[in-house]
Amino acid sequence: MSILVQDVSKVYQSGEVQILALRKASLEVPDHKVVAILGPSGSGKSTLLNVIGGIDRYDLGSITVAGETLEALKDSQLTEFRRKHAGFIFQQYNLIPTLTVEENVEVGRELSQNPLDMKEMLMKVGMWDKKDKFPSQLSGGEQQRVAIARALIKNPEFLLCDEPTGALDEETGKKILKLLQFVNKTYGTTVLIITHNQGIGEMAHKVIRMSSGEIVEAYENENPIAPEKVTWA
Amino acid sequence: MILRKTIPRTIKEKKFQYAGVIILLMLAVMLYVSLSMAITTLEERNVAFKQDYKQETFHWMSSQPLSGAEMSELEKKYDLTLEERSYQDINTDDTTTLRLFNKTEEVNIPYISEGEMPQQLGEVAIAKTFGDKNGISIGDTISIGGTEVMVTGYVFLPDYIYMIEQQTDLLSDPSQFGVGVTTSETLEAVKGTEQHQTLGWNTSNEVPDELRSEVNNRSTLLQFVGHDDNARIEFVESEIEGAGSLITTLPLIILALSLAMVLLLLKRRLELQRKEIGTLMALGYRKSELRRNYLGYAYVIGLTGTILGIIVGAALSLPLSDLYANYFNLPALSRFDFDPMVLVIGFIIPLVLLLILTTFVINRRLKTEPLTLLRPKEISSGKKSWFEKLPWFNKGGFIRRFRLRLLVRSKARSFYIFLGVMFSTVLLVFGLITFNSMDRLVETTYEDIQTYDYAVHYSSLQTDPTSGGGSPYTMAEVKVEGEKVSLYGVEPDTDFLKLISDGELLNERLNDGAVVSRPFAAIHGVKDGDSITLTNSFNDDEKKVEIAGVADVFIGSSLYLPHEEVNAFLSYPEDAYTSVWQDEKPTQTDNVFLIEDKQKVIDSFESTSGATRNSVIGMSVFAVLIGVIVLTLLTNLIVEENSPSISLFKVMGYHDKEVSKLVLSVYTPIVFVSYFISIPLASVVLEQSMNSLVQQTGFIFPTDVAWWMVVIGFVVIGLTYWMSLALSKRKLKNVSLEEALKKQQD
Repeated sequence: MSILVQDVSKVYQSGEVQILALRKASLEVPDHKVVAILGPSGSGKSTLLNVIGGIDRYDLGSITVAGETLEALKDSQLTEFRRKHAGFIFQQYNLIPTLTVEENVEVGRELSQNPLDMKEMLMKVGMWDKKDKFPSQLSGGEQQRVAIARALIKNPEFLLCDEPTGALDEETGKKILKLLQFVNKTYGTTVLIITHNQGIGEMAHKVIRMSSGEIVEAYENENPIAPEKVTWA
Repeated sequence: MILRKTIPRTIKEKKFQYAGVIILLMLAVMLYVSLSMAITTLEERNVAFKQDYKQETFHWMSSQPLSGAEMSELEKKYDLTLEERSYQDINTDDTTTLRLFNKTEEVNIPYISEGEMPQQLGEVAIAKTFGDKNGISIGDTISIGGTEVMVTGYVFLPDYIYMIEQQTDLLSDPSQFGVGVTTSETLEAVKGTEQHQTLGWNTSNEVPDELRSEVNNRSTLLQFVGHDDNARIEFVESEIEGAGSLITTLPLIILALSLAMVLLLLKRRLELQRKEIGTLMALGYRKSELRRNYLGYAYVIGLTGTILGIIVGAALSLPLSDLYANYFNLPALSRFDFDPMVLVIGFIIPLVLLLILTTFVINRRLKTEPLTLLRPKEISSGKKSWFEKLPWFNKGGFIRRFRLRLLVRSKARSFYIFLGVMFSTVLLVFGLITFNSMDRLVETTYEDIQTYDYAVHYSSLQTDPTSGGGSPYTMAEVKVEGEKVSLYGVEPDTDFLKLISDGELLNERLNDGAVVSRPFAAIHGVKDGDSITLTNSFNDDEKKVEIAGVADVFIGSSLYLPHEEVNAFLSYPEDAYTSVWQDEKPTQTDNVFLIEDKQKVIDSFESTSGATRNSVIGMSVFAVLIGVIVLTLLTNLIVEENSPSISLFKVMGYHDKEVSKLVLSVYTPIVFVSYFISIPLASVVLEQSMNSLVQQTGFIFPTDVAWWMVVIGFVVIGLTYWMSLALSKRKLKNVSLEEALKKQQD
């Protein structure tokens, strides 16, 4: 099991109000699978993804990822953990505007001691022809492809995707999902996708539903469908 | 690291902002390097010339020259080298005087920079600056005192580094006065009055305590000048000392301004890239890697600014050194005279300071958690400060309240605008005061106070009644608290000296006590009613006098008392005098040691006022340039930071002019408040610095601010601000309507 979350709770302080973002969340993520975490806004799915990825701390419970117990790690060790094991994909892509496509991917490649081949990666995400373009010259879908390549090139064990299709139309969104599925199959990368789009659960091996900081449902999907067939909501 | 590529691209994208800070840094380094190189060149040359060519420790003039035996006795007793030197002042035309000396071998050895040392009858070498100003070159034949002589070379004399005719002269003007050397035979052949002086040198460069009185006992001393009191020697050292504070202070202030601008710019860059930094942190970039990357901006700015500053500064030091070389008659004894440490300091100090401060700013940003950086910035600015809660704050219309809020919430920017305007104003007012001071100094000292045309100084005490309406007076050197002072014994009712203070005539007060010059009052820290004790340098007699007034005499540490009182103190006969003020040009030159032609002094001032005007213009341009850079940078950043609000105002239908009024002109009151605070500040700072230098220079510039300076300064600073506003308004116009939407998405 590459990711094990046990009774994790997290409280946010917003002004004078305390918000319980995670309530004793427990979860097991099998290796080399696609996992969809579904739920409405404020359900705690982003917080769960962030604590698993080591970019946020939690108050109670334990998370073990790739053999590392995250609550035991100092900030600098968490950086090394992310560097070695995790790849992040964001809803707003977060590319560096002053770097070209190839250079943006290079940003990820530099972090790995065992990176994938640049040309192969850009070919796989369909951006080789546009490797010299700047982010401002690309569409939203193309920018997200570059972000995926940036996350993947360092050959991470798991990919954490925060609403990867949230800013895209259905056609482009499905192409991105297809790419994520391809990555999972080709490289064996564990993919965690958080989304409020319920249909995306149909393509995942495992589906987790969250509400008010709690995991309310978790089930295995025996027959994940192709991304093109996902019901777009 | 691939991230490095973002630096040149970002700089290219924001080229005006980065060019602004690089220019500021370059100006700071340039100023330091050019001034330091010029001054160290001057210093090195001065020290080398002084040592290698045995600059005098002192010289004297006595009524009768001492005999060879007496000279040898004094040399032995005080471990000195003494040498006789003769000279004649020769008018080469109506307004020009050449002081021609015979060659010396032991003290004040002449240095020939070009051509040959005169060896035969009819050969002379002259100061190059004098030759240049009067169109005389090597090989030319000139007529001096009715004798035709040939110029064989250009000469430098160690005791005429600052080439002035009289010790009391303020300005050197080689077009009117110069020095030269010739053989003793040629000097004798020239028709004129030959003067003799004795030059003294010793290894310690200290005047022996008893020497002066011993010489005076052997022959009446007309003049005894130690190197410390010799303006021709000392002025260059005062200039070096005075320039020392200018070299460091001015560049340091500009450096501080440029560092503040760099930090502001970098803080803004880190704020703009908070999401990128958060992403990079999430991807696994270490803080040290990100710090290294962002330090790249400091390296680019620092290296470009300092290297450009060093290159331009080094290039500028050449004409500046030439200017000094014209001003001070110092030979270039070696090819490289400057101190290489100047370049090292000019490079290292700004760069190290920049890197340390930048590291501090970057570290503060990198302390933030990646998740916080990835989220849109919290709307913490929604909270009201105590200032905003004051009742008057919320009075008035929306525009007033919006502008006030912007002003209150951008304290750092307001402060930097305040500082930028203050610096430019102080620099500008310095220039204007200096410009005005020269005129006022000439008008007050030489026209209002010294109303005579000629001062005739005799080589011995005179008792015969003066003829032709002249006013006799006694002049002597005395000591006050160990400092040498010129004591004048004058007739209180004389028409040739009007001791004025702010328009009031103080001559009558001479009956109540002493009237002193402004430099005297500054050096001794005295005012009306204070008492001082005079000491006769020759016999240590003392006299206590009360200060009856401080006159607007800006040159020389002088003290005026009634004629008979001074004669009594100096043990001179009651009706004796050493000098006479008169309107007629003296025809009788027997016994005359020196004739001071006041018109020549005024002409000399006026001929050098061109250089002063140029330096004032230069200073003003510099002040405006710095003002424009600082204000444009700041207003540019203001537009950039407020672009979402600007865009929103535009979407809502506000015109560019209205938006500019809301966002940009907010800082106008700060500009004007800063301006009006800076005017008295400039006057006080200049007065303090003049007072601190008065002991070395012996003169004080009037530092009053006239109303016209306030008006000119206001117009210049106003135009500077208007220019920077105009430049930033162009940026404001370019803010797109989509900016507001983009910010919402972020």
